[in-house]
Amino acid sequence: MIIAEQKPLAEIAGFVKDCERVLVAGCGGCVTVCLSGGEKEAEILAGALRIKRRIEGRPLETVTYTAPRQCDPEFIEAMDCVVQGVDAVISLACGVGPQYLAERYPDLPVYPAQNTKFAGGSRAHGVWEEYCGLCGDCILHRTGGICPVIRCPKSIQNGPCGGSQKGKCEINRDLDCVWQLIYDRLKRLGRLDLLKEVAPLKDWSKSRDGGPRRVIREDVMI
Amino acid sequence: MSIRKERTGAVLVVGSGIAGIQASLDLAGSGYLVYLVEQSPVIGGNMPLLDKTFPTNDCSMCIFSPKLVECARHRNIEILTCTELQELRGEPGRFKAVLLKRARYIDPEKCTGCGDCAEVCPRELDDAFNPGTSARKAVSRPYAQAFPNAYVIDREHCLQCGQCSRVCQVGAIDFTRQDEILEIEIGAVVVSSGFELFDPSSLPYYGYGRFPDVLTSFEFERLLSASGPWEGRLLRPSNLQEPASIAWVQCVGSRNIRIDRGYCSGVCCMSAIKEALTARARGPLNLRTDIFFVDLRTHGKGFEKYRVQAEGQGVRLIRSRIYAVTEKEGGDGLLIRYADEAGNIFTEEYDLVVLSVGLQPSGGFLETAGKLGLSLNRYGFCEPVELTGVATSRQGIFVAGASSGPKDIPGSVIQAGAAAGESARYLAGSEGTRVPSVVELSPEQDLTGSEPRVGVLVCRCGSNIAGVIDVPKLAEKAGELPGVVYAGEHIHACSQEGQNKLKQVIREHRLNRVVVAACSPRTHRGLFQETIREAGLNRHLFEMANIRDQCSWVHLQDPDRANVKAFDLVRAAVARAVRLKPVETFFSVVNPRALVVGGGAAGMTSAISLADRGYQVSLLEKTGRLGGLASGMVQGFRGEDVPEFLSRLIKATAEHPKIEVLTGAEIKNVEGTAGNFTTTLGDGRKIRHGAVIIATGGAEYRPVEYLYGQDSRVLTLLELEKALAGREPAVAGAKTVVLIQCVGSREPERMYCSRVCCTKSVRLALRIKDQAPGTNVYVLFRDLRTYGFYEDLYQEARSRGVVFIRYETDAKPLVEANGERLKVTVTDHILRRPLEIQADIVGLAAAAVAPEENQRLAHLFKVSLNEDGFFHEAHVKLSPVDFSTKGVFMAGLAHGPKNLEECIVQAKAAAARAATILSRTRLESQGTVAVVQREKCAACLTCVRLCPYKAAEIKKGAAEIEPTLCRGCGICAGECPNKAITLLNYEGPVLFAMSSELCRGSCEDERV
Repeated sequence: MIIAEQKPLAEIAGFVKDCERVLVAGCGGCVTVCLSGGEKEAEILAGALRIKRRIEGRPLETVTYTAPRQCDPEFIEAMDCVVQGVDAVISLACGVGPQYLAERYPDLPVYPAQNTKFAGGSRAHGVWEEYCGLCGDCILHRTGGICPVIRCPKSIQNGPCGGSQKGKCEINRDLDCVWQLIYDRLKRLGRLDLLKEVAPLKDWSKSRDGGPRRVIREDVMI
Repeated sequence: MSIRKERTGAVLVVGSGIAGIQASLDLAGSGYLVYLVEQSPVIGGNMPLLDKTFPTNDCSMCIFSPKLVECARHRNIEILTCTELQELRGEPGRFKAVLLKRARYIDPEKCTGCGDCAEVCPRELDDAFNPGTSARKAVSRPYAQAFPNAYVIDREHCLQCGQCSRVCQVGAIDFTRQDEILEIEIGAVVVSSGFELFDPSSLPYYGYGRFPDVLTSFEFERLLSASGPWEGRLLRPSNLQEPASIAWVQCVGSRNIRIDRGYCSGVCCMSAIKEALTARARGPLNLRTDIFFVDLRTHGKGFEKYRVQAEGQGVRLIRSRIYAVTEKEGGDGLLIRYADEAGNIFTEEYDLVVLSVGLQPSGGFLETAGKLGLSLNRYGFCEPVELTGVATSRQGIFVAGASSGPKDIPGSVIQAGAAAGESARYLAGSEGTRVPSVVELSPEQDLTGSEPRVGVLVCRCGSNIAGVIDVPKLAEKAGELPGVVYAGEHIHACSQEGQNKLKQVIREHRLNRVVVAACSPRTHRGLFQETIREAGLNRHLFEMANIRDQCSWVHLQDPDRANVKAFDLVRAAVARAVRLKPVETFFSVVNPRALVVGGGAAGMTSAISLADRGYQVSLLEKTGRLGGLASGMVQGFRGEDVPEFLSRLIKATAEHPKIEVLTGAEIKNVEGTAGNFTTTLGDGRKIRHGAVIIATGGAEYRPVEYLYGQDSRVLTLLELEKALAGREPAVAGAKTVVLIQCVGSREPERMYCSRVCCTKSVRLALRIKDQAPGTNVYVLFRDLRTYGFYEDLYQEARSRGVVFIRYETDAKPLVEANGERLKVTVTDHILRRPLEIQADIVGLAAAAVAPEENQRLAHLFKVSLNEDGFFHEAHVKLSPVDFSTKGVFMAGLAHGPKNLEECIVQAKAAAARAATILSRTRLESQGTVAVVQREKCAACLTCVRLCPYKAAEIKKGAAEIEPTLCRGCGICAGECPNKAITLLNYEGPVLFAMSSELCRGSCEDERV
C-alpha cells in the first residue's frame, strides 16, 4: 500500500488561514489502513483545525467526508454535493487524491494534508517500512524476493558495497545490508548461482526516467 | 456413581481473603452452593490493605475490587460475615457444620452504608485499617470499598447509647439482635484462613514499638496508600515530615531458628522492592532506599527483571543481616548497625525503617484446624499432603492460600482454584443440586417505535448527598429535561424499599429508560440493572450519575458549585439515557469436551481432574509416551517417590474411561472460540472441544558453560539425580561434589530465576550425604532461594556439613579438567580470595527453559508468550492460569519455572477454570459488544491486532467481532481508522451529547 504521514497541523492550518469553511476529505484506501487518513483521522483533523481557529478568534467551519477511495473518478464525483459552499478542500489521501480533486473542482483550492512517503507494508502495528521502489521493471526473481532497488540506499544492482559491515549498512547500524539478506536467502534456497548470472543494465526508462507513466489495458477497456 | 450422587452439592469456604474468594467464585461458577464464612465483618482478607502489587505495580484494591463485587453479587455464594466455625460433624461428602453467627446489630441487607450513624457516634477509636495513624468511631466501615457495604458496630467499644439507631433512616440498627447458631449441610470444605503478620515487638533489637519511625511492611503499605492515613503522602509518623531515607530490613520473623521460625516467608523480598520503588515514585526526589537482605529471593515469574529494574532506578541492595536499629542521640533519626560480608561494621542513618515481617497462620487457625481435625506442620501451617497441592489429612477438606504455607497472591489464587476443583471433583455429580434455581424473567418490553420515557431517581444517600446537594430541587430540575417523564427523590435508592419503589415508578409512569443519580456504578450498577430487568426493561436502558463520590463527597466545602455540577452530571446521564438502545444478548452452545495439550504431570493431572468431574478429555502428547519432564526425576522436594507417583498417574490417565490419550500427536490447525473449538491434528483428525489447557511443559537447558558436554563428569542436576539413584560408580564413588547454581538463569539472555534449582541442589546435596556421608559437597550460589518450608532443607544441609559458597557474576566459578579430577576455582565471599576445589563430579543447576513449539501453539490458539518463551497469563496476580483469550488455560512449566508440586496445583486450578466453561450449557455475551459496519471496513487489521481478548477477526474481507468473546472495552471502536466499529450505546453522538451537557453547566457557571 501507499504509506503517508500527516503534515503538521500548523502547516495545514496555514493553507486554509483565509478560509471560513473547508471540506476535510478522508480516503478509505491505503491511508485508512496506514492509519493516517481515514474517517477517524479526517474528523480529528477537522476538530483540531476548528479548535485552533476558535482559540485564534476566527472560527472555522468544517465539513468532513470520507470517500471509499480518492483515486477513482466515480468516488470523487460523489463528493460534488459536499463541496458546495466550501472555500477549500483538504485531502487526506496520498498525493493522488488532491490532484483528482483539483481536476474535478477547478475553481477550488485543494490542499494536501499528507506527505506521501512510499510503497510499503506494516512491520508491526504502527510501524511501516518501504519495500517497493515502483521502478517499473521488477527484478525480485533474481534477488531472492528482496528488492535492492529500494532497500539498498545506493540501489546497487550487483552486490554489496564496501560499506556492508557484519550484515549492516554503513548509513545506519540498525539497517540490514540488503545484499547480505539477498545472499543469505539465496544460499538457504540453494540458488547462489543466480548471483553469478550477468544481469543486463537496468532499464530506468521504465521508471521515473521516462517521465510520468501510464498503463493501458486495452483488453479491459470499453 | 450411586454413592457420589448422595454427596451434598455445597461447599464451606472458611476465610474470605483472595484465596477464599477465588475458590468460592470457581465453585459457584460450576454450580455448587458456597457458604463463605468470615470471622470479621467484611470479606477480602489482607489484600485491601496493600497499596500496590508486584511485579506489575497494579493498585491492589483496583484489581481486587471487581472480584469482591462479583463474589458479593453471585447468587450461588452465601456470605456469612462475623461468623465462626464451631463444629464439623458427619462424614466427608456429607458434612454438617455448626456456625456461630455473631450479632452485627446492623443488618447488612438493610444498611446502605450512608454513614449517618458514624456521624453521631460519640466514641472515637484507633483505626484498625490504618493502625495508630487515624481514628474511627465505634460504628464504622472498615474501608471504602468493603463488602458488605454496611457499617459495623464494634461490640467491645460500643456504649449502646442508641444514638445511631435513632438517626438510621432505613432502620438497619437493632441492638436486640442475638448471636445465632446455624447448621449447614455441605459436601466439602475449603480452608483458606490466610495469614497474619509476625509481631516484631518480640524482637526488641529492631526497635519496633519503641521508635515511631520503625514500621512493619503492612503499616508502610497503608502509609503509601491513597486510602491511608495521609492520603498517600509519604510522611514520617514521628514528625509528619517527608523522609529523606528509608531502610528495609528483611527476614524479620522469618528464617530465624532461634525463635523457631525457620521458614522463609517467600513474599517479603519482592514486597520490599515494590515498596522501595513506590516510595521512590511518591517520596522526595533524592530519596535513599536501602534494602538489607540475606538472600534476595525474587524467584517468581517476572520477579528477577523487577529486581534489576529496581536496582537500575537506584534501590540499593545491601547483603547483610543487621544487628540492631537504634535511635540517634537526641532523637530524630534511626541508626542501623550492620556488617558486610567481609566483616566490616558500618552504621547508617535513616528517617524510616520498614521491617519486612514474616507471615504466620492467622490467629485462631490452630483452633479452626482442631475443629476440622486437620494436622498441621511444626510451624502451624496446614501443609498439603505431598504432591496433591491441596489435600489435607482429612478427606473432603482442602486447603488454599497462606493457611497452607506462606505464599504470594498468584500462588494463593492458583491454589484456591485447585482446591475448588478438587472439592468439585470430590462432589462430582452433585453440582446444581443445592444452588438456587434460576428465576424465569418476564419477557423484555418491546421498544420499537416508542419515544424515550426517562425516569430520574435522585438518591439522598442519607445525608451523604442530601447534606450538600439540594436533592428536591435537583429532582425538580431533572423533571424538566427533554425526554424525562418522571423525576423523584429517594432516601436510599439502593435499599430494598428503594428498589421496590423503582419498580413501581417504572410501571406507573411507563418508563422505558432509567437514570439513577446516586453513587458509583462500580458497586451499584448491577443491582439497579437487575431491578429494572425484573420490571421488564432491558438491562442496558439504564444510566447512573455519580453525584456522591464524584460530587457531594469531593465538593463538601463548595455546595453552590457542587449543585451546579450535580445537575451537569444528571443532564449528561439523561442525554445518554434518551439515546440508549436495548442490547441483545448473544449465546453460543458449549461443547463439554476438553483438550489438554501436553502429557506431562501437569497435563495428566488436569485431564484426570476434568475427567473425574464427568467431562470427556482428549489428551495430546507429542512424544510417544506420557510422563514429560518428571520422567527424569527421582525424588520430590519433600522426599516423595516421583517414579512411583508418576507411574500411578500414567496408569490412571491411560485407563480412565473418559480420557482419550493421543500420543505422537501434533496440532495442525485451531478454529473457533471458547465453547466451540475445532482442533485439527497432523493426521487430519478433528477434535471438537469447549476449552483447552496448554501444559506443554519445559526442558532443562543444555549448558555450554563449565565444560558441560566436554567432560563426562560435568552433569546437569537431572542427570546427577538419575546417576545418584542408579548409584553409578563415578557418582557414587565421588569424594567431592560441587554444585553450581544459576547456570543459564539470571543472565542477560535469560533474565529470570528458574526457581527450582536451589531447592533441587540442596535436595541432591542431602541425598549425597545420605548415600555417602563422607562426601564433600559444595554448593556455589548467587542467592540461595529455598523459599517457604524448603528453607528447612537448607538449614539441614548446612548442619550436615554441606558447604555453601556465594559467588558474584563478575567472578564466576571456573571449572577445569585437571587430569584425574576437576578443578573448580571460586572466590569465597567471606575470605575474599580464590578457593580451589578438587572435585570428582560437578553438577550444574541448569535453567528451566520453555519449549520452542510454544511459539507455534501461541499462534494457533491466539495467545501470547512472554519474552522468555513462557505463556503469558491474563493477569499475573488474579488470573494466573487464564489467558486473555477466553476458553484457553495453562498449567505447569509452560507458564514458568516451578516444581512438580506447584505444577500439580496449577494443573488442578486450570482444570477448575476450564470447568467453569464446560459446566455451562451455553456462553452468553457480556453486555455491550462492538459491532462492525462491513462496508466501511478497510480490513486494516487494527482491531485484530489490538483486541486484548482476541475477539476480532477478518472474515471474508472485513472485520468481524465474536460477541461472546467481546467484553465491550471499546478499544477497537476508538482505534478503527475508518470508524467502521461502534460500541453500542457508546457511539460518538451519545458521547458528544453527554460531554456537551457536562460543559454547558460550567460555562454558565463561569458567566455567573
